[in-house]
Amino acid sequence: MAPNRTRREFVRDLGLSAAALPFILNLPSLGFANQQRRKQRLVILFSPNGVIPGAFWPDEEGAKFTLKASLKPLEPFQDKTLLLNGVCDRVRGDGDNHMRGIGCLLTGVELFPGNIQGGSHTPAGWASGLSIDQEIRNFLQADPATRTRFGSLEFGVMVPDRADTWTRMVYSGPNKPVAPIDDPYQMFNKLYGRAKDRELLKSVLDGVSDDLKKVGGAVGAADKKLLEEHTTFVREMEKELRETKESAGHPVPTLEAGVKKENDRIPVISKMQIDLMVNAFTADHTRIATLQYTNSVGMARMRWIGVEEGHHELSHEPDNNEKAKDKLTRINAWFAGQLAYLARRLADTPEPGGPGSLLDNTIIMWTNELGKGNSHTLDNIPFVLVGGGVDFKMGRSLKYTRLPHNRLLMSLAHGFGHRISRFGSPDFCGDGPLPSLT
Amino acid sequence: MPITPTFLRARLVRVGLVLLSASTCPNPLSAADQTGEQIYREMCIRCHGPAGEGTKKAPKPLLGDKSLAQLTKVIDETMPEDDPDKLDAAGSAKVAAYIHDAFYSPTAQARTRPARVELARLTNGQYRNAVADVIGGFRSVPKVDERRGLRGEYFNARGFQTNRRLIDRIDPEVQFDFGIAAPGEKFDTPHQYAIRWEGSVLAPETGSYEFVVRTEHATRLWVNDLRTPLIDAWVKSGNDTEYRGSIPLLAGRAYSLKLEFSKAKQGVDDSKKNPNPPLLKASVTLLWKPPFGTTEVIPARHLMPARSPEGYVVATPFPPDDRSLGWERGTTISKEWDAATTEAAIEVASYVAARLPELAGVSDNAKSRTVSLKEFCKKFAERAFRRPLTADQKRTFVDRPFETSDPDTAVKRVILFVLKSPRFLYREVGGGPDGYDVASRLSFALWDSIPDDELLKAAATGKLATPEQVTAQAERMVADPRTRAKVRSFLLTWLKVEQPPDVSKDPKRFPGFDAAVASDLRASLELFLDDVVWSGSGDFRKLLLADELFLNGPLAKLYGADLLATAPFQKVKLDAGKRAGVLTHPYLLAAFAYTTESSPIHRGVFVARGILGLSLRPPPEAVAPLSADLHPKLSTRDRVTLQTKPQACITCHGVVNPLGFTLEHFDAIGRYREQDNGKPVDSSGIYLTRSGTVATFAGPRELAHFLADNTEVHSAFAEQLFHHLIRQPVRAYGPATLEELRKGFAANDFAIRKLIVAIAVAGALPVEAKRNPPEGNLLPDAKLNLPKR
Repeated sequence: MAPNRTRREFVRDLGLSAAALPFILNLPSLGFANQQRRKQRLVILFSPNGVIPGAFWPDEEGAKFTLKASLKPLEPFQDKTLLLNGVCDRVRGDGDNHMRGIGCLLTGVELFPGNIQGGSHTPAGWASGLSIDQEIRNFLQADPATRTRFGSLEFGVMVPDRADTWTRMVYSGPNKPVAPIDDPYQMFNKLYGRAKDRELLKSVLDGVSDDLKKVGGAVGAADKKLLEEHTTFVREMEKELRETKESAGHPVPTLEAGVKKENDRIPVISKMQIDLMVNAFTADHTRIATLQYTNSVGMARMRWIGVEEGHHELSHEPDNNEKAKDKLTRINAWFAGQLAYLARRLADTPEPGGPGSLLDNTIIMWTNELGKGNSHTLDNIPFVLVGGGVDFKMGRSLKYTRLPHNRLLMSLAHGFGHRISRFGSPDFCGDGPLPSLT
Repeated sequence: MPITPTFLRARLVRVGLVLLSASTCPNPLSAADQTGEQIYREMCIRCHGPAGEGTKKAPKPLLGDKSLAQLTKVIDETMPEDDPDKLDAAGSAKVAAYIHDAFYSPTAQARTRPARVELARLTNGQYRNAVADVIGGFRSVPKVDERRGLRGEYFNARGFQTNRRLIDRIDPEVQFDFGIAAPGEKFDTPHQYAIRWEGSVLAPETGSYEFVVRTEHATRLWVNDLRTPLIDAWVKSGNDTEYRGSIPLLAGRAYSLKLEFSKAKQGVDDSKKNPNPPLLKASVTLLWKPPFGTTEVIPARHLMPARSPEGYVVATPFPPDDRSLGWERGTTISKEWDAATTEAAIEVASYVAARLPELAGVSDNAKSRTVSLKEFCKKFAERAFRRPLTADQKRTFVDRPFETSDPDTAVKRVILFVLKSPRFLYREVGGGPDGYDVASRLSFALWDSIPDDELLKAAATGKLATPEQVTAQAERMVADPRTRAKVRSFLLTWLKVEQPPDVSKDPKRFPGFDAAVASDLRASLELFLDDVVWSGSGDFRKLLLADELFLNGPLAKLYGADLLATAPFQKVKLDAGKRAGVLTHPYLLAAFAYTTESSPIHRGVFVARGILGLSLRPPPEAVAPLSADLHPKLSTRDRVTLQTKPQACITCHGVVNPLGFTLEHFDAIGRYREQDNGKPVDSSGIYLTRSGTVATFAGPRELAHFLADNTEVHSAFAEQLFHHLIRQPVRAYGPATLEELRKGFAANDFAIRKLIVAIAVAGALPVEAKRNPPEGNLLPDAKLNLPKR
């Protein structure tokens, strides 16, 4: 845990002697007082079952474009939005398109052969490599200047309680899927449990001292010494607790109590998770976060926007089913609304210790395991980027021709200064990061 | 005790008398005209100090447990150190008698420094057990099931629908290779079947267990917590066929275990669409790596088909307990320990808070929830404190937190408060002396844990007042698996192998002796110890005299017994008439040996210290053993004799070597041999008893008979067992207690279980008077110098 590192600790970790200090700290990249390198953050949002392309992709290319129905909620952030059409998941191999859709989405690499049979194709197992968020996480954690307490946080909303290829998108390595935390209370405990425990502890230590005194009165002189020693330890702990910073350094969010993991509570859970994520960024507990809505083949029933059918079954409806298309458009607009809420929260939160807002230093990428639900295509995967976390030129609609998504994953890494020459399957990395992003 | 390649590990040698005065007195003293005290003042005091406390020249105090005869012999042969001839035999006897009686002997030490029952905190093991039982008290009582193995249910489907079950049986172990076939008749297809094994795993010792499942197909394993799998490999991915997961478990407890296996494609069922896929092989094996063992198929003796209630094991690490006297005790504390108790209390509070509906038996929206939670908290505190709360304590520990916090926070506060309270952390400070103190002393002696409901009930109704009542409870409690675990840990300590020694051997000299054999040997020893203590009358002498030992197929092959290669452990008579219980158990013989040669010194020290209970000081310097290669004509016995010839060595080696020589018929892995280095083995030995008689033995069986009938041995065993169970010095319980225990042991035909009961009773009955002696008699604890045993 290294949230509140001092300059001295940092310099010590670098293995520098005190004599070298004055020279080191004059270097702008190492002097914390006039911090030059901005904090950069990455959020990846996942929603399942493809989109309705006609209601999603703008007709125009370039800086002037109109957001269609699915993306309407992003209008306030249009100048900070980058839409990438024509980026395709070209990874093949074992597994059906839903499985490869989610399993190769952030890893860019084939699934291992395995025993999980999809609706078609051969059975498969887990992805054979790590995902881009973890790649960038490892890069940031390797440098004391960008290392954070958690490195990354994996959020989820209504992820089914089963671990299989359809429910995991983040991988810390080959065969190492990372389970998202879809219980906001569990995430809260992960973030603030220690602070709460300290408060509890504080509230009982006085009583413990009294109790030690009472018990000490009933033992002989030689034994009393042991209890006196014990009392000293308790007093020292009280003192240390008093000296520990009162809070996490920012307001600890209060969560609505008793929210159960139920389909109809998805909007509440989504909001809670986004709020916790923004808090974690404010405290610099992490610079990487993922938020996974349900799973590949997700079955959410969005009754709160008037959709009774399950998302996945609806996504199989043919193109001529206008009602279904309308519902799917609204479903994706709801997800876009969640993205907009996150962007709003980040935009409204000033960057601690720096100019601008959190959004100015955060890149959000919203994506999906399929391009289109009823065709199960892995072409034209939705990639919607919002925010100023990397030096991409935002406020544009770009259209590529079948470029592999590995190149986008590499672009993200490069945006964080991590200049990798390939990521995932080398077959799709030949020409480096995507053109015309920056 | 780990083996190091030098003599140093023998921790041997030298009596208390290290140096004597370089007196300049010209004439050899005549013993006739001086008392022992006068001789001491004249010749000894300059180095050893007025009361044997030591000086700069000879800093070690003259404390020990040699008999007067043994002490006289040492003084006569070695003192004064500059010129042993200055003191004749009669003078040596006089001065020895004085030293022995004035301060040297254990009795004299008891007189000069009265031992007392010190206030002690829970040891780490006691802490973990106590927490487990405080929480376990809110769950069902574990059922004892004598059956072994796991229940195996075989399903004619890829899942576990009861109506598809074809086989329901007990499998002793999980180690199956079904090949490309189905696991039995009547299965529709070899492509799709599932098996579930269920029951409990019995943890023989406390520590971290690594579970391993090997299979080519989908598998999941749960241990203890049946909601969250320890291993989830339902997704088969890539070439992995081995899955591992670790979990801490407590000795003497059973934990639920469930293993699921499915040979089928998971996910979408395409078996109808694709009815003839290629035939695949299927095997499944359930293994573990216990804390001190090697990875092995979990043996049937550690599995039972009955489920167990969930147990709780505190995961917070604690700094190690004081073992300076040879047994773990809680008479010191440190800041790290205090911090660990805080961490652990937080850990427990979170665990309980997450399971309130189950543990407190109250649903989240019950109307009387607060009342129920308070009741739960009161019970929690009473179990933890081992006695009912007074009205005042209830207000402090339960009511007040509920007045100032919401109910869920209050529960956590109460748990923190209770687990940080000295009433939980220390032994018997909560309000006695009364029956509750007796109940606690009994349960900690036998289980290293808190009293169960029956004990508390007896305490509440005043039924722990007489020795008969306390004895009856102790007799009931001895049957508990926790007692077995504690006694086994004692016996391994007694045999100096509680921390498994490195028994690796030269593979050229002993091909086939590998880590698996070493692990089997330890299992063989443990089976033997359990068998002696818990079957029949539990006669102590059998530990030394038994001519049978437990072997399995692989061990039988190595040690020359006639068993099938796959035979499980069973009693075997090995080397007819030449083996003698633990003395010749191959695990111990291998442990007390070098990689290629036997070590009579290590073996002798084991007999002298462990079995005879002699205190031996470490050797004055580390010495490497003479190499067999450099002395090609000498037997091991000859080499050891040659090396320990100097005067400085022989005071201790004179005792140690002849005991170790009796085991020379066994090589470095404990195999019987007639010849050593081409010479016939001489296994004769000798021992000077405390009563001054000389005992001679021709080989291990004679030594075993001598030891089995020897009161020194009985007394040493009782004393060490007392210390292990009670974790206080036996002398603190009165100067006669040990001798009474020894006599009772003998009168009961050396029944170990009866000795355990007698010790638990002796430790449980009130000793309050001794805990609080008059202030004037107190000496700082640091000066307490007990004989090393």
